[in-house]
Amino acid sequence: MNNYQVDLTNCDKEPIHIPGKVQSHGFLIAISSLTFQVTYVSENVTEFLDLSAVKILDMDASALGAFFSKDGEDIDLGQLLKLGKSQNSFDIINPYKFRIKDEPYYLIIHQSADDFVLEFEQITLEYDIQNIIGRSISQILTNKSLIGLLSNAAQEVKNIIEYDRVMIYRFLDDGHGEVVAEVKNEDLEPFFGLHYPASDIPKQARELYKLNYTRIIADVETTSSAIATYILDKPLDLTNSGLRAVSPIHIQYLKNMGVASSFSISLMANGELWGLIACHNYSPKFIDYKAREGAKLIGQILSSALEYRQGEEDTEKSNLLNEAVQDLSGYLEKDPDLISALTRHKVSLLDVTHSSGVAFFYEKQLYTMGQTPAIDDLNELCRWLKQTMQESVYHTHQLPEVYKPARDYADLASGILACMLSKELGELIIWFKPEQIETINWAGNPEKPAEPDVDGNIILSPRHSFESWAQIVKNTSSRWRGSEISGVLKLRERVLAAIHKKANEIRILNERLKLAYDELDTFSYTISHDLRTPLTSIKSYTELFLAQNKELDEKGKKLLDRVVSGADKMAFLINEILKLARVGRSDIQFATINAQKLVQEITLEVISALNAPHVKVVVGDCPDLTGDQTLITQVFTNLISNAIKYSEKSPDPEVYIEGKLVGDEVIYSIKDNGIGIDVNYHDKVFELFKRMDNVRDYEGTGVGLAIVKRIIERHNGRIWFESELKVGTVFYIAFKK
Amino acid sequence: MVSPDIFYVEDDQDFAFILEHAVKEVRDDLTLSVVEDGRDAIQALERFAEDKLRPKIILLDLNLPGLSGLDVLKRIKEIPYLRHTPVILFSTSDDPMDVKASYEFGANAYITKPSGYNNLITCIRSLHEFWFNQNKTIN
Repeated sequence: MNNYQVDLTNCDKEPIHIPGKVQSHGFLIAISSLTFQVTYVSENVTEFLDLSAVKILDMDASALGAFFSKDGEDIDLGQLLKLGKSQNSFDIINPYKFRIKDEPYYLIIHQSADDFVLEFEQITLEYDIQNIIGRSISQILTNKSLIGLLSNAAQEVKNIIEYDRVMIYRFLDDGHGEVVAEVKNEDLEPFFGLHYPASDIPKQARELYKLNYTRIIADVETTSSAIATYILDKPLDLTNSGLRAVSPIHIQYLKNMGVASSFSISLMANGELWGLIACHNYSPKFIDYKAREGAKLIGQILSSALEYRQGEEDTEKSNLLNEAVQDLSGYLEKDPDLISALTRHKVSLLDVTHSSGVAFFYEKQLYTMGQTPAIDDLNELCRWLKQTMQESVYHTHQLPEVYKPARDYADLASGILACMLSKELGELIIWFKPEQIETINWAGNPEKPAEPDVDGNIILSPRHSFESWAQIVKNTSSRWRGSEISGVLKLRERVLAAIHKKANEIRILNERLKLAYDELDTFSYTISHDLRTPLTSIKSYTELFLAQNKELDEKGKKLLDRVVSGADKMAFLINEILKLARVGRSDIQFATINAQKLVQEITLEVISALNAPHVKVVVGDCPDLTGDQTLITQVFTNLISNAIKYSEKSPDPEVYIEGKLVGDEVIYSIKDNGIGIDVNYHDKVFELFKRMDNVRDYEGTGVGLAIVKRIIERHNGRIWFESELKVGTVFYIAFKK
Repeated sequence: MVSPDIFYVEDDQDFAFILEHAVKEVRDDLTLSVVEDGRDAIQALERFAEDKLRPKIILLDLNLPGLSGLDVLKRIKEIPYLRHTPVILFSTSDDPMDVKASYEFGANAYITKPSGYNNLITCIRSLHEFWFNQNKTIN
């Protein structure tokens, strides 16, 4: 006997499959499958058979058979059980129609462990329901949509069982349920759209719904009947019993709701409990076994239709997303620009999920589409995700609950689906779903109230009020679907592949560029070299001609002199290019350079070469440098000769050279009070062959500073300048110490 | 058979032609013999050595077709009879690498070809002054 006490703490542990009682609208006898002796019997058997339970416990199958008749004969119960046993199923026997005291009864048999469980209930239906069921099923299936299918089914079930209210109750992700279809008598208050908390149907009850597709609670007001047995400590397992007594809590629940009889049909999809067809009657109303079986059939047919339709609708939705991923993959292959591929075509990142906005962090840039939080908020969110994301994809439909700053923009981003591309670089894509201020109409407050009983114990009190109780859900978006997440994962793979491909391409391009640079250096070098020879010939022949033809008139000599000076100019230019090319070609040999000595020597040399002794050159402190002696000499020669050359014509020409240690650099400055550089040319100063307007009267090729810059670059140093027209110029060169 | 004062290896006929004039300009009676490639040069020099003859100075262009100036320089330094004959590398290039390599192979001087006839005369005059007048060992 089960004396299990149910209270608030163990509500969902209540062993409802072994209540030790049956509902009193029928009776139960269990017979051992080994001995064919009666093992259990419900005490209400007396009301049906004029036999006490104790007496029946003494009987075996054949003796018991004498109390039942079929077509005027006793039933050979032993034979019936043997048949079922040999078949390993009672499906062909159930329901067995017979009579007790001339009243028609059904016998329904199933096996529970070592016992055959025989359940007896009265036949109340006078006509054959089979035809009605057939028609109902075809009626249900006329509607193509899921919702249509459900309301048709509710209507047909109501027609068959004639209950006051038939609802289709669907379980949502977190276990709570919602009434998604309802057919009821007009005078009743609608329950359609109401939500029921998960605790209304505890877990173990759900498990039973998965095993038994129908369940009738014939009358909440009747007292259930205890099961008598001589077997100790082994209550009869009533998992598959139709008469199984109802948990007192559930009875209370139904009573509170005003329900007298309840009937439910399980709806299964993909092996899981999808929902229930829940039927209520407000006065006691038993449903005949055949009608229950008919309703069960409807439930099964609806289940398979559900599975199919739901699958179809899901596939349709996920197909759209899949197509978007496919399209984007296509763009990624064709469009070399990743951003453009993902954002600028007909189908974009936004179409990969059912989101209202997307933000894409890539190469330190932020791209957004649709509705997203502000840039600062996005950057902050990106930082947070970078820190907290463990997997490549993270999603939540309640961001403000897990990340407080999001409360300020919950309207735009209550849901996020983030896809990390590179944690290191902080490259990721975030999709946003807006807040869905949803009003959930609970059928009563979902927090199960617990009330102290007279003794002060906290006891479970099933709800008294079923008035709908509206809860406003904030900071929540619609949920991310599996198809959205799998689409994003697929897309992630494609994007990463594209990024890798691009990185590879850049590497190859870089290699090629390097090669081209080398080739250019070689080319400039060779061409300059080869150009020199014929140039020398032109000059030499001209000079030789002049030398051998002393009688040539002045005009002729002048013309040939022009040839010589042209050749000289060209030779100078070629030399400069050669020097530039050599900077690229030569290996840099780092050594410590005595800069003080170098600068002084160069200064003397340059003054002499430019014949400019009137220029005052001051050499300040010149700390040692690390660099290539030849190349650094070239740098200082160029800069100092520029400074002297362009200040030479100033009233008091002065050039100041010094070096300073600044941080980890040695910065040299070469300052003059010369003609200066026009601000419009500042960006062209280091370009090859660029010469300013104001230097026409000065010799030069426009290669010098290009060489200087290249040398400094090869030393990983920096070069810049400050200049004002007619005031002077300061060139700075910084070397790593 | 006589050996010339100046033995010049030069593939550029124009330059050789100009130089010939410049040499005559510096000293009318200086003799100059020009060969156009490295193999001919080595052959001629070996023949001189056999006959116990040697030019007073060898001018060697660096960029030659076939054997390079450096190859020729190396061969010359291997001929014992010519080991002490001054060899002057005479090249358009002023690449420090070329200069360095030439000295390493035993060049006695490295001169960048001057541009133009007038500069050439100056160059040859100075060369003549140093190697023919001041440096008595070659006379």
